[in-house]
Amino acid sequence: MSLPLLVVDDSSFARKQVIKALPKGWDVEISQASHGQEALELISQGKGEVVLLDLTMPVMDGYGVLESIRARDLPAVVIVISGDIQPEAEARVKKLGALAFVKKPLNTENLLTVLNDFGLYSE
Amino acid sequence: MSNQILDEELRDCFQELSNVAVGRAADLLARLLNTFVIMPIPVVNLLERAELSMALSSIEDAESVSAVCQGFTGSKIAGEALLIFNDASFTDMAELTHYTGEITKQIELELLMDISNILIGACLKGLAEQLDVRFSQGQPYLLGQHLNISELLKKNTTTWQRLLTIEIPYKLEGHQVNCDLLLLFTEDSLPVLRNKVSYLME
Repeated sequence: MSLPLLVVDDSSFARKQVIKALPKGWDVEISQASHGQEALELISQGKGEVVLLDLTMPVMDGYGVLESIRARDLPAVVIVISGDIQPEAEARVKKLGALAFVKKPLNTENLLTVLNDFGLYSE
Repeated sequence: MSNQILDEELRDCFQELSNVAVGRAADLLARLLNTFVIMPIPVVNLLERAELSMALSSIEDAESVSAVCQGFTGSKIAGEALLIFNDASFTDMAELTHYTGEITKQIELELLMDISNILIGACLKGLAEQLDVRFSQGQPYLLGQHLNISELLKKNTTTWQRLLTIEIPYKLEGHQVNCDLLLLFTEDSLPVLRNKVSYLME
C-alpha cells in the first residue's frame, strides 16, 4: 500500500518544488494543504502519515500543527521544510516533536538524506 | 512597458522567493540582537504609486516613523528598498544593542542604518541568488525621521508610476520592535523578473 504523504505550504510554487524533489521511485500517495488547519483535517483522515511541513503560513502555522499533532496524539511523522533558518526555529520544532528540519531553498540531496536517515525511504 | 499584470502564479512565486530571502535576513538579525524574529509572511502587490500607503498596512497606525532608502539595480532589474521603523521601537532596539545612553536623533539614525544594512542587504542577496541575478546597491540615505507615513512617502521622489511591491513586516518576539521592509521594483523590471521566475517554475 502507498504511504500517505502530506505536503503543507501556503505557496503552491513551494509545494510543487517539494513534490519535484521527492525520490522518483517512492511509493507515496500525495495530498496537499495550504495551511495548518487544512493539514490537520487531512492528517486526521489518515492522509498524512508522513508530513512535509512549512512553518510560516496564514490561518495556522507549522508550530500550531506540531502542537495539535502532539495534543491530539495524531499518527504523523513530521519533517519541517522552512525558510526560517534561525537556529531557535529548528530547536523549537524539534522540541515540538518534528523529526527533522530541512532548510529552504530545498535541496533534493538534503531531503533524500533525511528520508534515508529515518528509514522513510531507501534506494 | 505598461499594463503588466501580476497573475496569481507569479505572485505566489515572488512571495515564496521573498520568504526564503526574509528567512536569511531574520537569521542575521536574530544573531545580532540575540533574540527571536517572528517570521513575517511577505505581501506581494502590483500598485500605483498613489496606492503605496496601502502596501504599508502593518505600520500605518504608527504615529511617528523614520526610514532609510536604498536603490538597487542589476540584470535589467531596478528598484528601491525602504526600511520604515516605528519610532516607538527605538527604546527596545537600544536595549537589545546594549546601548545605555540617551537616545538622541543621532543614535536613532545609527540604529536605523545598522539594521537597514543587515535587513536590506541580506534580503536582496537572498532574492538575487534565487533568481540568479546580481544587484549592486546604492548608498543608503535617510528618508526622514519622526514623520507620519504620508509625510514620509512624499519624501520619496521616485517617479515610477506602477510598482511591484513586496512588504515584509518584521517583529521581534517579546520586544516592542516593529519595522517594515518594503521592496519596490519598477514596472519595467517585471518582464525580466517574470522571465527569471519562469525557469524556476518549470
